[in-house]
Amino acid sequence: MGNLLLSVVSTVGLIVLFTAFCEIGVRAGWWRESVLPAPSTIFGTLATLLTKGQFWEDAARTGFEVAVAIVFGGLLGFAAGLVFWKAPLIGRIFEPYLVSFYAVPLVLFYPVMIVLVGINAMSVIILATIMAAIPMALNTAVGLNAMPPVYMKLARSLRASPRQALFAIAIPAAGPFIVAGLRLAVVYALIGAIAMEFTTAQAGLGYRIRYLYEIFDNNQMFAYIVMVLVLSGILTVLLAVVERMLLRGRNL
Amino acid sequence: MDPQGIQIENVSVVFDSPTGRVTAVKDITQQVPHTSFVSIVGPSGCGKSTLLAVISGLQKASNGTVSVAGRPVTGPDPKIGVVFQEDSTLPWRTVEENVAFAMEMIGTAKDSRRQRAKEAIDLVGLGGFEKSYPSQLSGGMRQRVALARTLAVQPEVVLMDEPFAALDQQTRLFLGAEVRQIWARTHQTIVFVTHDISEAVLLSQQVWVMSYRPGTIIDVIDIDLPDERDASVVSTPRFNELHNRIWGSLQAESMRGFKQQEANEKVTT
Repeated sequence: MGNLLLSVVSTVGLIVLFTAFCEIGVRAGWWRESVLPAPSTIFGTLATLLTKGQFWEDAARTGFEVAVAIVFGGLLGFAAGLVFWKAPLIGRIFEPYLVSFYAVPLVLFYPVMIVLVGINAMSVIILATIMAAIPMALNTAVGLNAMPPVYMKLARSLRASPRQALFAIAIPAAGPFIVAGLRLAVVYALIGAIAMEFTTAQAGLGYRIRYLYEIFDNNQMFAYIVMVLVLSGILTVLLAVVERMLLRGRNL
Repeated sequence: MDPQGIQIENVSVVFDSPTGRVTAVKDITQQVPHTSFVSIVGPSGCGKSTLLAVISGLQKASNGTVSVAGRPVTGPDPKIGVVFQEDSTLPWRTVEENVAFAMEMIGTAKDSRRQRAKEAIDLVGLGGFEKSYPSQLSGGMRQRVALARTLAVQPEVVLMDEPFAALDQQTRLFLGAEVRQIWARTHQTIVFVTHDISEAVLLSQQVWVMSYRPGTIIDVIDIDLPDERDASVVSTPRFNELHNRIWGSLQAESMRGFKQQEANEKVTT
């Protein structure tokens, strides 16, 4: 518990220090307001934004896109990982594509998405889902394949049903890898959604940031960027809670 | 014949390997009487683990039959308990949950599960560690968890495949003596595979010596040490006599196995 307190204090402390540094920097004239506005200005703008309907529409849309991408990307990736483990041949056929897909900036496919589904939340969700599913699939497959062979011998010796072997042994055994996959899936879903909004969408936090950048509204742009940071902070905390629940008892 | 123990009849196991067909076990006919403790010793690669796998039903015999408690073994059966050489405790479960695991798999009712888990934990001397996770235990303690998990199912026979091979000599003898005491209390039929002669003599009522490939039983030695024994029996003259007799049978086989493996390596390299 001492460690937890320390990490909370140091995290918050660093944020406060950084904010103070930015504030002093602007006021002392180390850089111009147009480069990085004072945090007080940014938070002031953010406070007024919070009262506006449009801001909440953008935030809700991005939040929805990210949530859907995490859920579907996570489930799809998990299912794909299970298939790769159960049918190693399929795994060997598809894994090279997945691994190279990993390295492709999927945002490049936005023209294809626009032709297929139009400029709407769907195109963002589809690409963000694919981006989330890939690391989840690879991690799940790696975790299941890394399971000590004796676990399946144990299952066989007890005549466990395939269902028991999967839910009582294989999935918990691959737990740490699956959680790591989930972590990446969340990050990729967020990056995918924001980046897609940046390039194609007509609404959402990513779109708004690009729009404000194009009309030189620095203060509002930074307020939105802070909002995205807050969103990723919330996701990280949620993830830590889920991780704690799933990995209870390990790495003590 | 005693229908309740283990009957092994004309069992052979042949593997196809890249270097040709390998006869791991050849024509073994033996029996393990009900409530007895039998150890199988042999040089590495002699097929003793294969024979155990056949008894457990995890491995099909190419020839011959095995029956346990009067029923022919056709596949794995929870009534045939196995303790593996590798650490098979599940790291996400506490000691208590690990011990209850096998009972969960075979559908034992929840109430008796808790009761029997507690008894098995006490039996292997892990009382007080119920809520610990395997990562907090030593290798020897984890193997005791695996043993408790097997005993809690109340199997007809317990098969142990070099369960303490990964531990140091002192811990191995100490845990061996504990297994012996557990056996003295439960009179569970046990077949114990090891490459350690001292361990075999210390634990068993009878030791089977197995030859290098093709694996056959070349000697059967009744261990006439006192029933009440602990690790101190190792220093008695009778222990040494038995040890030397087994070593005598094994020595030639180990040399043969060693030479054969060397020859194989020359062929393959």
